[in-house]
Amino acid sequence: MNGFHLTLCRLLLFAAALTGQVAAQQWKAPTTMKKLANGLVVVVSEDHSAPTFGLCVSYGIGFRLEPEGRTGFAHLFEHMMFEGTPNAAKGVLDRVIEGGGGSNNGDTRYDFTEYIETAPVSALDPVLWIEADRMKTLDFSPKNLENQRNVVEEEVRVNVMNRPYGLFFAIDLPGKAFDTYPNAHNFYGEFKDLDAAKIPDVQKFYEQYYAPNNAVLAIVGDVQPDDVFAKVEKHFSAIPVREIPSRPNVEEPPQKSERRATESDKLAKVPAIAIGYRMPPRHSPDALASAVTGELLHNGQASRLYQSLVKEKQVALSVDGGLNWPLGTPYEFNGPTLMTSFIVYPPNVSEDQLVAAFDSTIKELVDKGPSQQDLERIVAKMRSDWYDQLEIPISRASALSHAALFDGKFDLVYQIPEDLAKVTPAQVRAFAAKYLVSTNRTVINRVPAQGEVQSEKKQGAAQ
Amino acid sequence: MRTIMRIAAAILLFVSFSFAQKDVPMPKELPPYGAEKPLRPPSVHSAKLDNGLTLWLVSEPGFPKIAFSVAVRGGLAADPADSPGISELLVKTVDQGTKARTAKQIAQELQAAGGDVSADSQKDFIEVSTAVLTSRMDAAISVLSDVVQNASFPDAEVALAKRNLSDSLRQRESEPRFLATRAMAKVLFRDHPYHVTAPTQESVTAATSADLRRIFAQRFRPDQAILVAVGDFDDARMMEMVKAKFGAWKAPDESALSATQRTSNTPEHAVFVVTRPGSVQTTLELGTFGPLRGDPDYEAAMVANAIYGGTFSSRLTSNIREDKGYTYSPSSYLRAYQAAGVLVTHADVRNEVTAPTLNEIDYELNRLATTAPSDEELSKAKHYLVGSEAIQLQSRASLSDHLAGLWVDGLPPEEIGIYGQKITNTTVSEVETAAKRYFPAFQTAIVAVGEEKVIRDALASFGIPVKTLQ
Repeated sequence: MNGFHLTLCRLLLFAAALTGQVAAQQWKAPTTMKKLANGLVVVVSEDHSAPTFGLCVSYGIGFRLEPEGRTGFAHLFEHMMFEGTPNAAKGVLDRVIEGGGGSNNGDTRYDFTEYIETAPVSALDPVLWIEADRMKTLDFSPKNLENQRNVVEEEVRVNVMNRPYGLFFAIDLPGKAFDTYPNAHNFYGEFKDLDAAKIPDVQKFYEQYYAPNNAVLAIVGDVQPDDVFAKVEKHFSAIPVREIPSRPNVEEPPQKSERRATESDKLAKVPAIAIGYRMPPRHSPDALASAVTGELLHNGQASRLYQSLVKEKQVALSVDGGLNWPLGTPYEFNGPTLMTSFIVYPPNVSEDQLVAAFDSTIKELVDKGPSQQDLERIVAKMRSDWYDQLEIPISRASALSHAALFDGKFDLVYQIPEDLAKVTPAQVRAFAAKYLVSTNRTVINRVPAQGEVQSEKKQGAAQ
Repeated sequence: MRTIMRIAAAILLFVSFSFAQKDVPMPKELPPYGAEKPLRPPSVHSAKLDNGLTLWLVSEPGFPKIAFSVAVRGGLAADPADSPGISELLVKTVDQGTKARTAKQIAQELQAAGGDVSADSQKDFIEVSTAVLTSRMDAAISVLSDVVQNASFPDAEVALAKRNLSDSLRQRESEPRFLATRAMAKVLFRDHPYHVTAPTQESVTAATSADLRRIFAQRFRPDQAILVAVGDFDDARMMEMVKAKFGAWKAPDESALSATQRTSNTPEHAVFVVTRPGSVQTTLELGTFGPLRGDPDYEAAMVANAIYGGTFSSRLTSNIREDKGYTYSPSSYLRAYQAAGVLVTHADVRNEVTAPTLNEIDYELNRLATTAPSDEELSKAKHYLVGSEAIQLQSRASLSDHLAGLWVDGLPPEEIGIYGQKITNTTVSEVETAAKRYFPAFQTAIVAVGEEKVIRDALASFGIPVKTLQ
């Protein structure tokens, strides 16, 4: 379950009246944004609660736009960003960051790839240098590509092929729910495609997408904005602007009927089901209601699906899910996405029983909508969850960079609570009635394989 | 390391670890590190209620969330021998009803405050925690105090939790990491109470509400508990609320649980195979005993581990990931429980490189045990450990959790500053001594989870016994 955030004005007034103190209103950290001449957007947010910083560079490329015939390439490429440059050989990056007391990582998602570091502030200068250095060029080494291909294939084995359920709710479900390559392909990568990737692919991808004018650099922590802007100017301003491919249309043809499939799982001992409904675009009028509904249904033990399926009807062992789950928050996507439910259920319950129980939970929401109290409760939880994202410098940097990347401004990050507070029970009900219908969904039932012999294809990575 | 990276919606996907290689010079243009700013340890107001409940309050203004943790002594190691792992059932049911509230009310009241109950069973303790909006902290304290004092373990809730735990246990038994952890604890600890990592089907089936109530009453007592609060509050007002809500909590007359005895086991240097048909990887773990917190060589062993396998730029990751490409997920950790420390190396590798990986892990363990680290390795490891503690404590919830852990280990809150100082002062010869003591490969027990035939054929050449674990 992911968190968001939000707050109801009425709720806050109520709380204030109750406790006799002024309830915390929207929390906002001092944050500034600038754009360098080469198009690099820089966001700085001060936080002096610890002598540390968090940094995130998000590039506007993710799996949605990776080339056909190269499934998994955006992620394989992400690994190559850690493999050195002509100036800083393989290994220097980690030595610099860890030697400065910090950590680093990278994440690939549908619509961005981010590179993140956090460390004591004494490491800020060399870390900025390192990020600028890999925005200039890479060491396009065939040997390192071969090495990282092996590492990525081990990653796929550990997370998909050798693991019960094999992330079918994240890989196979969109594969069936969507019809076009950008949204439907296996983002972790078919091995044949990973094996086919060559250095010219790496070079081309880098040149196309890893340009300053396709990136946002966000820094949060014990820093002075003027000082950070000056340092960023010094390290990044000489990196040339590059032409970015125009964004292709990634919209889907409409779904006309329910899609169902059954998969066999060689490693799972207990069945599971994944249900995905196609969702409205991020800035559409229904977007906020979709986020709230996703959490109302899935967030924690108080959620409707948990209460109904696990507690009352006792047809499920666990319920997870939400809008844009599990590869991001309900705010951070820029193309077709799903509201996904991933439900593990006991072997003595049938698929039909489970789906019927699920449907009756949805029907109740469609028929009656949430009460005002239900809505206020989930809005408080979403607001609290979102603050968790903003508390830690590295994750606040991440959130700021995504917002700036998608919208050209970071305002959404602090505005989410207020925006969600505007959602009404009638909107949630109308949203549910319009979108949570069977013709708009895909259902995959995943059952333990009978017997031992299964073809490897069934193991999840393939679809 | 991953836990430091608390990214939005972090699932363990697409994590790109990096590596290091020592002999390459640093780029000439690379700017130097700036002046180190001293880390500011949290200011902890420590107090004790008349009923013996310890309070550690950390007032941190400026952010609208507050974290609470209640820890009580006695975890998996304290479970009765005929109910192994019942602590796990207890934490799944402790928030499922009190005299005053149903499970649903507990969940909804906390959700309205912006929180959830999180209840965990560890080897030495149980912790119940929540993080909520500061403006709703009264509601959170009411619910939390009710749960830890008055959990009632309703029969129907316990029956449901037992059924679900039984099925989820079957599910976890298909996960290689679960199997490896369980096997390693069995191999290292044998009959010692630390061998328990999870319940068994039998213990789940046999458990009753009455058992849970009895164990709850034994362990959830104020004189064996701490309440930690971290957030934007006024100390005096918080004290008042805590007194009002926790003041009536009474310890039973019977004496508290006794501490877990230390073990005198030595690991058996053999390969223990856990058969997992259909496995496309071997999950390898090498385990041995390490120091306790408070042992004079604890910090030196932490530094040694950071050099060996505890960081991305460590020797282990550089070798088996960044050079050989055998694995995505190499790591090592040193963990100190109250009565034993363990040092464990972990890697999931494709079947065909099972033996070559074990060979490299052995090599890196022995290299650390026999040769001095470079100055750069030492400096990097020390800075990493000090920095990562500061980074970890940035969030109110993790600071609260960390403080509760210190209390369980019998350490004061000041340990947060002391630990960093000790790490910084560690010398190369102390690291060498600790490495020689804890790291030699012959002292490890090896667990391999996967296709038995692959593992047996591959490992025959090492000349150590290969045994099958059930």
